[in-house]
Amino acid sequence: MIPFTHFMLVGAILFCIGLYAVLTKRNAIQILIGIEFMINAAIINFVAAGQYDKDRMGGQLFALFAIVMAAAAVAVALAIILKVYQHYKTIDPDKIDQLRN
Amino acid sequence: MQQSISQSINEILYGLGYLLPELALTALFIIVIITGLFTGKRADKVTGIVSFTGLLIAGYFTAGQLTTESTVSLFGGMIALSRLAVYLKLILLLCGMLFLLFTQINAELQQHKKGLSDLYAIVIATLLGMNFMAMTANLLMLYLSVEMVSVGSYLMVGYVSSNTRQSEAAIKYALFGAVCSAVMLYGISLLYSFTGTLVLDNEFIANLRVTPQLGASLAVLLVLAGIGFKLSFVPLHFWTPDIYEGASTPVTAFLSTAGKVAAFGVVIRFLLAFSPRHGFLIVDFQQLLSIIAIITMIIGNFAAIWQDNIKRMLAYSSIGHTGFIMMALIAFSDASAKAMIFYLFVYTLMNMAAFMLADYIEQKTGTLKISEYKGFGKKLPLAFCALVIVLLSLIGFPATAGFIAKVLVFSSALELYNFSGSVLLLILMAMGALTTVVSLFYYFKIPLFAYLKKPDAEPVIFSLPKNAAFGLYISAGLALLLVVFGLFPQLVNGWVELTIR
Repeated sequence: MIPFTHFMLVGAILFCIGLYAVLTKRNAIQILIGIEFMINAAIINFVAAGQYDKDRMGGQLFALFAIVMAAAAVAVALAIILKVYQHYKTIDPDKIDQLRN
Repeated sequence: MQQSISQSINEILYGLGYLLPELALTALFIIVIITGLFTGKRADKVTGIVSFTGLLIAGYFTAGQLTTESTVSLFGGMIALSRLAVYLKLILLLCGMLFLLFTQINAELQQHKKGLSDLYAIVIATLLGMNFMAMTANLLMLYLSVEMVSVGSYLMVGYVSSNTRQSEAAIKYALFGAVCSAVMLYGISLLYSFTGTLVLDNEFIANLRVTPQLGASLAVLLVLAGIGFKLSFVPLHFWTPDIYEGASTPVTAFLSTAGKVAAFGVVIRFLLAFSPRHGFLIVDFQQLLSIIAIITMIIGNFAAIWQDNIKRMLAYSSIGHTGFIMMALIAFSDASAKAMIFYLFVYTLMNMAAFMLADYIEQKTGTLKISEYKGFGKKLPLAFCALVIVLLSLIGFPATAGFIAKVLVFSSALELYNFSGSVLLLILMAMGALTTVVSLFYYFKIPLFAYLKKPDAEPVIFSLPKNAAFGLYISAGLALLLVVFGLFPQLVNGWVELTIR
C-alpha cells in the first residue's frame, strides 16, 4: 500500500505548481488552470485522508463538493473573461489596468 | 443501520425547523427567477417588490429565532445557530433590503438592458450563503458558504459590465477570489488530513494538538487567508479599492457591508473552535490578529488620504474600519461580541448612506472626484448636509452612532488589556485612537471642497427623475438614524443580549 505521506507530497507539489502558474502566467485562462491545479491538490489530500475516515466519508464528500464548486467558479470566471476580452481585446491581466488612474 | 438512518432523518427534520429563514430565502430565490421570466417588461418592478417582501418574511423568521437561548447544533454538527448568528443574519437582511432600495435609484442599473431581475436572484442567493457563513460549524460548510458568496459576488460585480472599468473590476475580483479560495481549500484539506474530522469540535482540536506545530499552523494560516480575502485585512486588501471603484455603486455598498458582516460571522465561528475553552492555542491568534489589525488600520487610513475618487476613499476607509472591528474580535468576550454587533449595524447604516449619497451626488453633478465637489455644497444642501453627518459618524465624532460604536469596541479591548496587560494590545488601542485622528483628514476633505473652496465656474446640476430624490430621502433618513442612535444607543443596545459562545 502506498503510504499516506506520498499522497500529501504529490498534493503539495501540485499546489506549488498551481501557485507558480498563477503568479507567473500572463493569460487569464492559464491562471484559471493554475487555480484548478491548486484545487486538485486539495482534492487529492481529501481523498487520500478519507481512507482513515471510513464511517463518515468526510473526505470523499468534500472532494465531490469541491469539484462542483470549482466548476461553478470557473464557469463564472470564464464568462467574465469573455466580457473582458470584448472590451480590451486581450486577457493579459497585466494589461488590464485602467482602474486607479 | 436502519436505526441510524431513521435517527438521521429525525435529526434533519428537527433541524429544518431552525432553518426557516434560509428556507424562505431559497424559496424566494426560485420565485424571483420565475417571476422575472414571466412578467416581461414589468419584471424589474415586480421582482423588486417580490424580493423586498420575501426579505421581510425572512427577517420575520429570523427575528423569531431571537428566542434561542444557547447555541443549537444542527444537522450532525454542520451548522450551529447561536444568538450572535441571529443578530448577524438580521444585519445581513437589512443590508439586502437597503441594497434593493439602492438599485431602484441607481441610474446605471435602472438603464441596464437586461433588467434587474437576475441581479435580485443573485443577491438573494448570496444572502443565503452569507447566512450560512454566520452559522457554520463545519469545514465543509465553511468552504461551501464562502464559495457560494464568492461566486455570487463575482456575478454582482460583473453584472452590468457595460464599460472597461466594470469588467476589469470583475475579472480582478474573480481571479483573486478564486486563488484565495483555492488556498483556503488546500488549508482545509491539510486540516482534514491532520485531524480526520471536518467538524470544528473538541475531537478536531485534540487531534490538531498532536500534529506538528509547523504544519498545523500553516494549515490554519491558509484557511485564515481565504477568510481574510472576504474581510479584506491587510496582506489581502489590495483588491478592495479597484473592485469598489469599478463595480456599480449599489453593488459596492452591498459588498462593503454585507460581505464584511458575513466574514466577521465566519471568522468568529472559526476562532470559537480554537478559543481558550480548550485551554490552548496552536497559533497565538490574539497576537497574530493584533498585528494584522494594527497594519490594517494604518494602511487603510493612511492610503485613504491620497484618494480623490470618493468610492476609492470609502474603500480604504472600510479597510480601516475592518482593522478597528478586529479589535473587538481580539478581545473576544461577551462585551466585545455585543460591541461588534453594534459596530457592524452602525457601519452598515453609515456605509450604505455614504455610498447612496455619493451615487446621488454623482448623478447630480456627474463626478465622483472629491476635488470637483467645489461649490456644490450650497447647490445640494440636503445631500451634502446628510453626507457630512454620515462622515462625522464614520470618523466616530461624539453625538453620532459611530462614536458609541468605537467607544464600545475600545472599552472591550481596554477590559482585556486591564486583564492581560499585553503591550501589543496597548499598541493596538493606541493605533485605533491615532488612526481615528488620521481619518479626520480624508473625511473632512469632502466638506472642505464642497463648502469652503470657491468654484472656478458656476456649478452645473443635472435634473433627475423622481426616484433619484427618493434615494436622497432614504440616505437622509439613515443619517438622521445615525444621530438618533448616537444620542440614544439604548434603542439598539437594549435589544442586543448575547454571549459569544
